[in-house]
Amino acid sequence: MNSSLLAWIILIPFISSFVLGALYLYSISIKKINDTIFTFLAILAPITSFLIGVAFFLSLKNGATDYMYEPYTWLGVNGYIISMGFLGDKLSIFMVLFVTFIGSTIHVYAAGYMKGDEGYGKFFSYFNLFMASMLLLVLANSPIIMFIGWEGVGLCSYLLIGFYFTEPLNVVAGNKAFIVNRVGDLGFIIGLVIMFFYVGKLGFDYYALEDYISLVPTSILTIIGIALFVGAMGKSAQIPLYVWLPDAMAGPTPVSALIHAATMVTAGVYMVARFHFLYDLIPHVGEFMAYIGAFSALFAAIIAMRQTDIKKILAYSTISQLGYMFIAVGLGAYSTGLFHVFTHAFFKALLFMGAGAVIIAVGHEQNIFKMGGLRKKLPLVYSVMLIATLAISGIPPFSGFFSKDEILLKAYRHHEYLIYGIGLFTAALTAYYMFRLFFVTFHGKNYKQKEMHYLSWSMKAPLLVLAFGATVAGFVGLPEVFSQTNLIDEWLKAYSGGALHVEHTTEIMFMGISVVVGLAGIVVAYVKYFKYDFNKEIQESGIVYNKFYIDEVYHFIFVRGIQKLSRFISVDVDDGVIDKAVMSLCGGFINMGRRIGRMQCANTRVYAFFMLLGISSFSLYLILKLG
Amino acid sequence: MDIGLLSFIIFLPLIVSFILLVLPVGMKITRNIAFVTTIIVFLLSLSIFFKFQLTDYMQFREFHPWISSYGIYYSLGVDGFSMIILMLITTLIPLGYLFLWKTKKSKGYWASMLLIQTGVTGALLSLDLVLFYFFWESMLLPVFMIIGIYGTGNRIFSTLKITIYTIMGSLFMLVSILYLGVAFYNEFGVWSFQLSDLVQITTLSNFERTLLFFGFMIAFAIKIPLFPFHTWLMQTYSNSPTGGVFILSAIMAKLGIYGIVRFVLPLFPHQYVEFAPYFVGLGVFGLIYFGIAALMQQNIKRMFAYSSASHLAFITAGIFSLNAYGMTGAAFLIVAHAMATGGLFLLTGTIEYDLGIRSISGLGGIAKKAPFLTVAFALMLLCIVGLPGTNGFVSELLIIFGLFEYNHYVGVISALTVLVAASFMFWLFQRAILVKTDNDVSKMKDLDIKEIVGIFGLAAVIIAMGLYPHWFLYKIEPTIQHYLVDILKVGIGS
Repeated sequence: MNSSLLAWIILIPFISSFVLGALYLYSISIKKINDTIFTFLAILAPITSFLIGVAFFLSLKNGATDYMYEPYTWLGVNGYIISMGFLGDKLSIFMVLFVTFIGSTIHVYAAGYMKGDEGYGKFFSYFNLFMASMLLLVLANSPIIMFIGWEGVGLCSYLLIGFYFTEPLNVVAGNKAFIVNRVGDLGFIIGLVIMFFYVGKLGFDYYALEDYISLVPTSILTIIGIALFVGAMGKSAQIPLYVWLPDAMAGPTPVSALIHAATMVTAGVYMVARFHFLYDLIPHVGEFMAYIGAFSALFAAIIAMRQTDIKKILAYSTISQLGYMFIAVGLGAYSTGLFHVFTHAFFKALLFMGAGAVIIAVGHEQNIFKMGGLRKKLPLVYSVMLIATLAISGIPPFSGFFSKDEILLKAYRHHEYLIYGIGLFTAALTAYYMFRLFFVTFHGKNYKQKEMHYLSWSMKAPLLVLAFGATVAGFVGLPEVFSQTNLIDEWLKAYSGGALHVEHTTEIMFMGISVVVGLAGIVVAYVKYFKYDFNKEIQESGIVYNKFYIDEVYHFIFVRGIQKLSRFISVDVDDGVIDKAVMSLCGGFINMGRRIGRMQCANTRVYAFFMLLGISSFSLYLILKLG
Repeated sequence: MDIGLLSFIIFLPLIVSFILLVLPVGMKITRNIAFVTTIIVFLLSLSIFFKFQLTDYMQFREFHPWISSYGIYYSLGVDGFSMIILMLITTLIPLGYLFLWKTKKSKGYWASMLLIQTGVTGALLSLDLVLFYFFWESMLLPVFMIIGIYGTGNRIFSTLKITIYTIMGSLFMLVSILYLGVAFYNEFGVWSFQLSDLVQITTLSNFERTLLFFGFMIAFAIKIPLFPFHTWLMQTYSNSPTGGVFILSAIMAKLGIYGIVRFVLPLFPHQYVEFAPYFVGLGVFGLIYFGIAALMQQNIKRMFAYSSASHLAFITAGIFSLNAYGMTGAAFLIVAHAMATGGLFLLTGTIEYDLGIRSISGLGGIAKKAPFLTVAFALMLLCIVGLPGTNGFVSELLIIFGLFEYNHYVGVISALTVLVAASFMFWLFQRAILVKTDNDVSKMKDLDIKEIVGIFGLAAVIIAMGLYPHWFLYKIEPTIQHYLVDILKVGIGS
């Protein structure tokens, strides 16, 4: 295969985005363009990229070596060169496959969801820019090029979250996403710069970095590792930079599906896996990462238990599931983390699309306690949501079970018992809050239910595809007890962190514990919410419902603090001190000028006196100088 | 070599301007002819860009005696560093015309714009210090007129403030230039104000050099402006008409930086290195200080004034980082920032033209009325914010690299630049452009076709420079290496 095709995986959605954007501007200001044209152009792009990705996949599978394509020198300063380059290895092609696959299904779904929207063309322009950025992030062959995609993803999330920009809340949420991500990017860029100066001068692509990274002292590696992880915290919404993600729900629901499943949030996990050669050398940073992941998982799960907005619950569940992934990659089990990224992509996209279908059907209501009894009215959505909920709750044989269980097993095997315990407990909470959502939304009786809106096939078909995926995706990473070959570990051998052999009986025992814990969560949710009485108005309150007031604290410290500082600088310091000093200096000159001006009094005698004074002093000077 | 090409670029606008002023032609003809003139100048400078050779010495030299008895020469030349600024000036000015087109200003306005062009290109291409000083001062006069006559608010006061402030700074420079000339005469027995001659002076004591260094630096620090010489900027920007603020922010401020690199660095290499830590510190401090101050501004132009000051401080830190990363990044950021800031001021001018002058809280909901303007505004904003894919990112990254090489801690602090501009720019965009408010913006019109061509052309260059920076940078690389190796290192060694 021609390696230049790697660039086309990115270029196709990029060009599509550009064309769509131009057509959209044309459409709104000159002549209306039919939405079908937009749909066609939009959906073509991710599907084409997916097909190219499949071709690369097959080629790599048949033993081809990694593809490297460097079209031009991006930057050359001081004799060091950074190329615009793309790398198609097993990791990046794996990412490309599921990003474009899930992305394609979301595109189809969005075509139905956004139908008739004023900004239809704009939406897909942003969508494909999002895909292009994510693919650039994944296919880049050096951290700098990765950073271009990395920030591009952040920009697109801003654009899509604030899609309905006339409403202040949406734009504020978009700004928040961008700025919080930028805090992460600050970490990323610091890591990048340090890395460049310590090893990058020998070559800044991943191969070279991998070869020379061991030359760097561990203390520096630790700083680099933490700095890069701060970047991952931002993108993948981990404590303390998770705050943007729940607010990101302001965007249309397909956006949430795209951000949470296929793109953006997985970038942090991917980045850590990509820098496995770095993190392998600094296991203490990895352990820190695993703890951050574990606490994020627990913390978000606790908050999710009390939320009433269907999308907010799912948002917190994403943070929680990402926490699991960081447990895995932190402990060096990169392929396990990526396995969970993979399964999560299916069931989370499905959950969001299902939630979107529900929201559309009940007329843009998002409070689950105002839904209820949708089972009969939305049978298809009901069944796919059941599959997805079972998958995220870790019930076999659905996909989430295998990946989550493997993470827990790895944590146990690394003797991280606290992390294991937190993970297990969180699994119970997950099952509980997800089934709370499920029961409240679909079961029980709700007499207030109004007319249902019709769901188009372009929304239903992707649900079916993803439901199938959410069911079977776990089989690519079967545990040893069921199958000799774990396809995922096999494919990502370089990232598996070494095989961990476990006794089959132990393995089965751990699975049993996981299942029991998950079921326990479901049972509690069943008891509390299965026959929920919608007649009494639910009013959640308290510290958990209010998300531990973290947003308020952040707002007070950072936003208010900086605003006060800004006012202080511009009013008190600049106007009050500096400009005042300048003006009083000026005023001094003016006064002096007035005094000097008084000499010009139109009195001939005074002039004559000055003239005399001048001539005599000049003569004196000449005499002294020459004499 | 094309004899006279640089002179032609400098003086064509001046000549056209005089002819137009003398002839009894109307405003429209003046404007159209002025625009054609800037296009011709642009094409000429484009030919310089393509004929430019990959070397580190001055090209397209012109050298004629001017005031021979005092060794003042008419001496011009261009190297990599001035070449990209020349390209910048000659590209931006016609673009600005496209936006100023509809403002029904009088004939004198367009004539002044031409005069400004002569002033700035002349200052850029002079290699004789007296000649440079001549252009440096003369470019101020038309700005004086534009703000004083066509400005708003307390415009007379602003005009006086900027003029007196900068002339006072320039006086220090003039004294320093004369002092250098005398020193050269004392040492070599002939008069000269040529840069290449003055660098050979050996008789000055370290103390004298330090004084002269600061004589130059004050003039440039006021023009840039560096903290604490910045307070004229905010007032002038907010009272200037669009054309004035466009020229001031996009072009003149950059000439302050240019002056440091062109004259201060070769004349006083010791002092340059000795005081570099202070200027790096001042630069990084200014980056954050002005950035925070920008946040709560109520007037868009005032906010952009602080934003400009923030970026220019960062550029200053870059040129004092004493390495190729910082220098190249600074050169690149001069271009990137001029384009983006210039574009933003032009777009703001359009908003002012349609809606009148308003505070940020008086705007809002423009996006629905003017989608093209919104997209253009967003692209310029992203360049200011330094988003990868724009030239703003490349330059900021290089400066961070440079500062990191200079000092690790400073480098890490300077990385805060990724947060500084983002915090106020996105908030501004939200309040002024996107969100619908009760304010009446029904008079807002979208960009016309001229403006669309101009601003999206500019955006295309911004993105091209972000995706393929090497193509734009390799021509200035030899010059930067020349500054660092031949001038700075040799200068210190001697």
